Amino acid sequence: MVGGILDDVDNREPSPAVVGMVDPAHPPSRRAPLRWAIGGLVPWLLLAAGQAVWIGFDRRLMWLHIAIAVVTLLGATISLVVVPLWRYRVHRWEIGPQAVYTRTGWLVQERRIAPISRVQTVDTYRGPLDRLFGLANITVTTASSAGAVHIAALDVAVADHLVAQLTDIAAIGAEDAT
Amino acid sequence: MLLVHPVHELVRELPLLIGGLVLGSTTGNQSWTVAVLALTAVVGVARWFTTSYRIDADPESGQVQLRAGLLHRKVLSVPRNRIRSVQTDARLLHRLLGLAVLRVSTGQQASAEHGFVLDAVRVDQVPRLRAILLTGSPQPVEAATAEPAATSTVLARWQPSWLRYSPLSLSGLLTMGAAAGLIYQSGAVGPLQHSRLAESAMEAGRRLGVPTTVAVIAAVLLVVSVLLAVLRSLLTYANLVLWRRADVLHLRHGLLRLREHTYDMSRLRGGTLRQPLLVRAFGGAGLDAVMTGVHGAGESSVLLPPCPRSTAESVLTGLVGDPNVVTGPLRGHGRRAAARRWTRALGAPVLIGVGLAVVTLLEGTSVVPLWLWPAWVAATAWCALLAADRVGALGHRVDSRWLVMRAGSWERRRDCLATAGIIGWTVRQSPFQRRAGVATLVAATAAGIKRYRLIDVPEDQVWAVAAQASPWVADSIWAIR
Repeated sequence: MVGGILDDVDNREPSPAVVGMVDPAHPPSRRAPLRWAIGGLVPWLLLAAGQAVWIGFDRRLMWLHIAIAVVTLLGATISLVVVPLWRYRVHRWEIGPQAVYTRTGWLVQERRIAPISRVQTVDTYRGPLDRLFGLANITVTTASSAGAVHIAALDVAVADHLVAQLTDIAAIGAEDAT
Repeated sequence: MLLVHPVHELVRELPLLIGGLVLGSTTGNQSWTVAVLALTAVVGVARWFTTSYRIDADPESGQVQLRAGLLHRKVLSVPRNRIRSVQTDARLLHRLLGLAVLRVSTGQQASAEHGFVLDAVRVDQVPRLRAILLTGSPQPVEAATAEPAATSTVLARWQPSWLRYSPLSLSGLLTMGAAAGLIYQSGAVGPLQHSRLAESAMEAGRRLGVPTTVAVIAAVLLVVSVLLAVLRSLLTYANLVLWRRADVLHLRHGLLRLREHTYDMSRLRGGTLRQPLLVRAFGGAGLDAVMTGVHGAGESSVLLPPCPRSTAESVLTGLVGDPNVVTGPLRGHGRRAAARRWTRALGAPVLIGVGLAVVTLLEGTSVVPLWLWPAWVAATAWCALLAADRVGALGHRVDSRWLVMRAGSWERRRDCLATAGIIGWTVRQSPFQRRAGVATLVAATAAGIKRYRLIDVPEDQVWAVAAQASPWVADSIWAIR
């Protein structure tokens, strides 16, 4: 402190203010973009199939067919190429000694941090596609519905290790955690 | 006590009863009606005989158990150390018989059929039950429910003048909407359409002309909605008393149907001052509790309905213990957040204005009626005023104990949240926010509405706010100093 006047008010050595946060260190699995691409493609394929059937029965509004086909193609390309790669660049996670910190999203991006001492449950979820690619998703819940931390598309081995580590530090059930 | 169940059963089985009546009168055999009546009464009595509850002696590991059901047996168990609040509720019939419904809340989402409800316990037993359930100590507290005792402090008492804020709410309109929906659904509209009343109304409408009719209908709607809103507020909040005894907060209100809430102060994580635009214009404010185990939205968290602002502020100051949290100045969010308020409010009106101008230029003045332009100016001016109000409201205040957030114009709120209750932070950025260099900060907590949002904080301050409130963020391995 240089000023001196403030010393009367606050005698504690003020800790320097936090100006920002480093991004978490670890990316998801290398197979994650592939899983996201296929997961994102499925709805567009269904739409395309529906369109093919429609064309088979009704060929009058050709301009409409072409317009919808263009939209479908564009949407499929975006969710096949752009979204997975973008997501892979954004998604990061890390477990610190006190907290879990993640960064998720693509267009809208979120960083979320939760203290491990307040963790209530650690859930693993593996859908059919996740199992096909050997991936697992982890959800770390706290007492707040707004505070659950999701870590998506991890290698199964990494995920298992992580769950064990989290439940170890959290000592779940030790206290009320609200 | 035995009377409540059969009578409520009658009300619940009203359709069946009407069916029985109709059947009885059409067949000319009134025994049908009698049979239905008797059956309902028997079911009601049986309900009473099959319901029982038990409170384990051990306050730490013991449970409160409720067994109920005639054909469908169910057992509800609540661990005693998880009980967060106890409410009682007495409808008119309950009050006449000296009974109350006791509701135990644990903080889990409890729907009507899964909630822990003791229907109809004697009112003189309630204080003892409440003391046992909340504190775990079975020694009887003196009749605290009748009137706040000398050892407790009364924080607020309802005044008839509080009613002046209630016409300004939308509850009257909502009530009318619900009533209209009910009438429509019951099929009463068909006969009404051809009745003499409707025809004479149509006739009157034709004589007066369209503008006058619309004005008359609007005026009638307004008056009825104001009356309904005042009536509803009077019925719900009359006789409100908020008092505090040691670490327990008591709230009682209601003119006919008496409701009583008891909150454990150690569960209190702050409060929300709510100032809807019209209430604010008349210097009023409402107060919600931010508490774990109590739903943040809706009536269960209301501590004070719209009342004079000074009352709400002094009560919140008493609960929070720091006047700066409640009335202190806030830190604004800067130029870029203000710019975003303006573009959001004025974007649509400006686009519509440009569209109108283009159409006028291309197609001539005949397509766009002239009255549209003053209307557009008025709407745009209104949006601009709202934007200015939002800019003025937006702000926060943070120290190691309290996080204060203020935002909104139409529904302005000032959330005061204890930092100890914050169990997670989210920083969210849309592409537009990234370009503007701002972010939305969301504090997650188990109390109140669970997510408390602070919109458009400058990027370089957002983690500073989180770190100041939560030491576990400041001390984390990712913090840059």
